[in-house]
Amino acid sequence: MANWVRVGEAGEVADGEVSSFSVGDRTVAIANLGGDLHAFDDVCTHQQCSLSEGELDGTVIECPCHGSQFDIMTGEVVEGPATEPIDVFEAREEAGELQVSLE
Amino acid sequence: MPTFVVVGANLAGATAAATLRSEGFDGRLVLIGEEPLPPYERPPLSKEYLRDEQPLERGWIRPPSFWEENEVETRFGTRVQRVDTADRTAVLAGGERIAFDAALIATGCRNRRLRLPGIDLPGVLELRTAADADRIKAAAARARKAVVVGAGFIGSEVAASLRGLGLDVALVEFATTPLERVLGAELGRVIEGLHRDHGVELFLGEAAERFEGAGRFEALLTTAGRRIEGDFAVVGVGVEPVTDVVSDTDVRVDDGVLVDATLETSVPGIYAAGDVARHDHPVFGPIRVEHFDNAMKMGEVAGRNMLGRGEVFDDAHWFWSDQYDAQIQMSGSATTWDQIVFRGRVEERSFAAFMLKDGVLRSAFSMNWKFDVRRAMPLIKAKVRPDPKRLEDPEFDLRTLAPPKEPA
Repeated sequence: MANWVRVGEAGEVADGEVSSFSVGDRTVAIANLGGDLHAFDDVCTHQQCSLSEGELDGTVIECPCHGSQFDIMTGEVVEGPATEPIDVFEAREEAGELQVSLE
Repeated sequence: MPTFVVVGANLAGATAAATLRSEGFDGRLVLIGEEPLPPYERPPLSKEYLRDEQPLERGWIRPPSFWEENEVETRFGTRVQRVDTADRTAVLAGGERIAFDAALIATGCRNRRLRLPGIDLPGVLELRTAADADRIKAAAARARKAVVVGAGFIGSEVAASLRGLGLDVALVEFATTPLERVLGAELGRVIEGLHRDHGVELFLGEAAERFEGAGRFEALLTTAGRRIEGDFAVVGVGVEPVTDVVSDTDVRVDDGVLVDATLETSVPGIYAAGDVARHDHPVFGPIRVEHFDNAMKMGEVAGRNMLGRGEVFDDAHWFWSDQYDAQIQMSGSATTWDQIVFRGRVEERSFAAFMLKDGVLRSAFSMNWKFDVRRAMPLIKAKVRPDPKRLEDPEFDLRTLAPPKEPA
């Protein structure tokens, strides 16, 4: 069952933008694709760089350090050097809050 | 059942082997490497690994169990003596002979050695392998001062890492700026300022002449007559491609193993990838590249082409270098240009630079500046002629100049 956690205010991540948020001991990135929110692990599985600092092209985020690319819908690696996928999560706006569920 | 042999268990070779399996090759696959370790990434060796910030294991190209799980026969710690193109056989040190249907030459480069007095003294070190990095780490742990010879990428990164470890560093470079051969003097001076501001003693325009010491390195003598004392030295003066395995065969060699646009050598069924491959690039012409991303992407394409895909390798090239707090990136390839356009603030070391020749964008460089070097890649590939006025403007989005994407 989804366990929704507040990470910020609704509207905080504008269309086409990506931002990162602390949730417990992990950092989660949230992208806004045309009004749809997608959350994923902010930490690149290659060398632990912050993916939210990278460029989002369609559903693919590119790590700013070494160019690894991940599909933020599935977490799968699109292009190396990373070989391990990232976790993906649900995000939503509810009651004026930006929320993610890490379940 | 066909047998494919990959000579070189480095980024290019290992990526090719992994690609062959992910693309469904189910024949015999042998991955041979001279080093005793499973394939690992080398970029951290001059940076995070040298500074003891991360273990080697974080840089496995695949988890070590991957090779057995994917039925890749490995020969780590084994040198290939020669690739016999007439018999289509790889001859290994120790005598093993492996007949192959297709082979990939991914032998990489070796460090160029200076033939100078004292070069063999203990304490005169170099950097290529994890074992080399371990030797530098051990020397740095009980040293106060290091002398670094050569301010290319390896020398510059090693100097920065040793400063980070608290050592005094002297950096000696024959050219007039660090990285001048790749970046030109104007950008090279930015790198020079970076090192000087971080306390490196920089000696430009002079070369190493002699390494001195009573049984162990104590000082470097330069061509300018200077004597620079230090507890150890690291020499990084360039590399040369390792082509010995195909010498005296029909595989054409000229500053690397020559390959066509699909990475195939002059002998059908024998491919080359990575630092050793001099590739007929559709945009840049014949070029040999010594960077991580190129080796990985060439490995992928070589793997697919060994299966008959005939894919043209036309990547625009990209690399990074981290020195102190400066994140440096570059894409494209230009040995000369007639115009350089800056955006951002050079004096604050937060900027991009675009190199144009005859109005055509050939390469892009950045320091602590997001996105633009990568966004320039499709533009370089398409040989666009951007308006320099717009390039200067940080608000102008390079993506608007990109040609429409090819359908996937």
